[in-house]
Amino acid sequence: MRIAMAGNPNSGKTTVYNAVTGRMERVGNWAGVTIEKKEFPIKKEYYSGREELIAVDLPGAYSMSPYTSEESITSKYIKDEKPDVIINITDATNLRRSLFLTTQLLELGIPVVVALNKSDINESKKNKIDIEKLSVLLGCPVVKTVATENKGLKEMMEAAVSLFGKEQKAPYSEKGVNLSDKKSVEEADRKRFEFVDSIVSKVETRTVLTKEINKGDYIDAVLTNPVGGLVIFAGVMFLVFWISQAKVGPFLADTLVGWIETFQEYIGSLMAGSSPFLYALVVDGIIGGVGAVIGFLPLIMVMFFLIALLEDCGYMSRAAVVLDPIFKKVGLSGKSVIPFVIGTGCSIPAIMACRTIRNERERRSTAVLASFMPCGAKLPVIALFAGAFFSDETWVGPLMYFVGIALIFFGALLINAVTGYKNRKSFFIIELPEYKVPSLKVAFLSMLNRGWAYIVKAATIILVCNTAVQLMQSFTWSFDVVEVAGDSILASIAHPFAYLLIPIVGVLSWQLAAAAITGLIAKENVVGTLAVTFVGLQNLIDTEEFALMEGAGEDVAAVFAITKIAALAYLMFNLYTPPCFAAIGAMNSELRSKKWLWGAIGLQMGTGYTIGYLVYQIGTLVTTGSFGPGFVGGLIAVLVFAGVIIYLINNTKKKMASEYTLNTGTL
Amino acid sequence: MTLAEAEVCKDYIIKDVHIEDEDLSAFLFRLGCYAGENITVISRKNKNCVVAIKDARYNIDNHLAEAIIV
Repeated sequence: MRIAMAGNPNSGKTTVYNAVTGRMERVGNWAGVTIEKKEFPIKKEYYSGREELIAVDLPGAYSMSPYTSEESITSKYIKDEKPDVIINITDATNLRRSLFLTTQLLELGIPVVVALNKSDINESKKNKIDIEKLSVLLGCPVVKTVATENKGLKEMMEAAVSLFGKEQKAPYSEKGVNLSDKKSVEEADRKRFEFVDSIVSKVETRTVLTKEINKGDYIDAVLTNPVGGLVIFAGVMFLVFWISQAKVGPFLADTLVGWIETFQEYIGSLMAGSSPFLYALVVDGIIGGVGAVIGFLPLIMVMFFLIALLEDCGYMSRAAVVLDPIFKKVGLSGKSVIPFVIGTGCSIPAIMACRTIRNERERRSTAVLASFMPCGAKLPVIALFAGAFFSDETWVGPLMYFVGIALIFFGALLINAVTGYKNRKSFFIIELPEYKVPSLKVAFLSMLNRGWAYIVKAATIILVCNTAVQLMQSFTWSFDVVEVAGDSILASIAHPFAYLLIPIVGVLSWQLAAAAITGLIAKENVVGTLAVTFVGLQNLIDTEEFALMEGAGEDVAAVFAITKIAALAYLMFNLYTPPCFAAIGAMNSELRSKKWLWGAIGLQMGTGYTIGYLVYQIGTLVTTGSFGPGFVGGLIAVLVFAGVIIYLINNTKKKMASEYTLNTGTL
Repeated sequence: MTLAEAEVCKDYIIKDVHIEDEDLSAFLFRLGCYAGENITVISRKNKNCVVAIKDARYNIDNHLAEAIIV
C-alpha cells in the first residue's frame, strides 16, 4: 500500500515524510527543496494493521498540469502509478493557493486526506479554519498538523488508512475542457480558482490580512536592503566559517584526532611482529590515510549544522533577493546563491539544487560553477597545506573561498561569452516564506546524517583508494616489492602526468601527480595519497593537520621539496579542478547535454590549471626575480586553453551576427 | 499603469500580465497572479519589490513588475 505526499512547494511534505518514516531527507524553508521522488516504509507507530505502508515523497507542485520538471514528476507519478491514498499537504496559511491542487487531486478518484500543515503559524496569525465544514465541502477528511512538532500526524495516518479501497468523489470537476486550447484551459483554471475562493470564504476567518505589514516585513526590509543586506550576507557566511573552521570545529577535531592516534598506536603495537609491508598497509595506509580524512569530520559537521540552521529559518530566499541584481549582471540568478551556499558542504546536492532555477541557461551556468566553492572534502586539503607550508596562518582558508567566489563570477562571464548571452529580460520571482526559529533538532539530525555519509565515504571510497595507492606504490609491475620508490606501479603511472604539473609546482614529482589524480575520484584522497606516498610524511602528518607537531610543519614542507608558492599553486590547482567523479555525475544529470558537460569539465580543468600556473609563475617571479621551471610549457598549455575559448567566443559572435542579419533581413 | 508604478500598501486588481514566456505566465497563474485577482505592493526597493498575492509574499524584480498591468 502506497501513500503519496503531494502539495505545494514548501508546504512541508518532506518534513511529514521524515517524521513518519524516520528518514532524514533534506528539508529547508524555501520552495523547491525536494526535486525527486522518494519512498520508504512508514513507521509502525503511525498505524495499526499488518500490511506494510510505503510513504512516497514528491516534489512540490502548484497544479496537476505540470510546467516544471519537478511538477511533472509529481503529476506523472500520481496519474500513472496510482497510489492507494494521497495525503495532500497544504499550507494552512495560504489555502487560497493550496486548494487549487487539492481540487485537482480530488478529481482523480484516489482517496485523499487533506493535512492543514503549519497550523501553528496559522493560529499565531489568529486565522481560524473550520475544519469540519472544509471536510464536508471537499468531501474528504481534513486534519490539522504541525509536522515540525509531530502534531496531528497519527490522526492524519489513521484517516489515510481508513480510506483504503474507497472511491473519492470530487466536489468540483471540470468537463469539456479542450486541453490543447490555451484560452480554454485558462478559463477552466480561473473557474477552479473561483470555486476555491468560494470554499475558503466559507471556512476561513482572518483577523489580520496578508496584505497588512507584519513583523516579517520589517526583518525583510533590513535583510534585503541592497547594501545592508549584502553586508549581512557576508557577515553570516563569515560566521559560519569562523565558527566551524576556526572555533568549535578545530576544538572538537583535536579530541577526535587524539582518539584516532591512540587507536593507530594500539593497532601498531598489536602488529609489531608482522611484516613491515603489512604494517605499512594497515597502520599507515589504511588507518593513517582514512584517519586523516575522518579527523576533519568535526569541522564539516559543525558547518553542516550551521548551514542547516540557515536553510531552516527562511533566510535563503532573502539572500537570493539581495544577490539577484549582482548575479543577474553576470548571467546568473539570485537563486544561484542557494547552490553556492550548499556547495560549501558538498557539491553534489549543490548541483542538484540548481533545479529550482527556472531559466535554463542560468540553471546550467550555476551547475557548472557551483563546484568552484570549496566543499567539505576540500577542507582537509586546505588544512594540510595551510599547516605544512603556512604555519596555519589564518588567511589561507578564507583566501580559498574568496578565490572560489571570484572564479564563479569570472566563469559566469566566460560562459556568457562562449554561449552567446543576449541581455534578454530574465524575470525574477521568489516566494518569501514566513520566518521561523530554526529547529535545533532538524539541524542536529541533518548534521548527523551528512556526517555519517562522510564517514561512509571515508570507509569505502577513500579506504579503497588508499589501499590501492599503498599497494601500487609497494610493488613493481612484476609484483616484486619495491626497493626504490620510483620503480613502483604508482610512480610509473603517475610519472607522465607529473610533467604536466611542472609549470605549477616547479619540480617533477610523481607523488604530487598521483595525489592530484586520486583527488579526482574524491578530493580527500589528495591528503590520503600524499600521506601514503611521501616516504616519512606519514610520521609527520600524524593523521592530519591539527596534529602537526610543534615545528613539524617545516619538516613536512621539506619532504614535499617544493616552495611555498608552489604549494599554494598546487593547492589551488586541486581546489578548482573538478571536485570528484560523483560531482561530475551530478553535473551530467543536471546539465542534460553532453556539450555542456564536456564544456564544464574543460572549463574546470582549464581554470584550475591556469590559476595554478599563474600563481606559481608570477609568485616565483616576484619572490626570486625569474620565472619558475616549466614556464614555457605551461604557457603553451594556458595559451591553448585561452585559444580554444577565444575560438569558441568568435564562433558564437559570428553565429549571432549572421542570425542578426537573417532576422533583420526577413523584417 | 504597471505594477512598478503602483502605490505601496494599496490594493490593485490585475488587468493583464504581459509575458511572452508561456511557462512563466502559467506559473504566475498558479500562484494567483492573473487578470481579475488582487495584488498589493508591500514594499519597494530600487530594483525589486515585495508583493502579496493571495496569502503569500513574493519578491519580484522590476522587469516582472513592469509586465503586470493593474
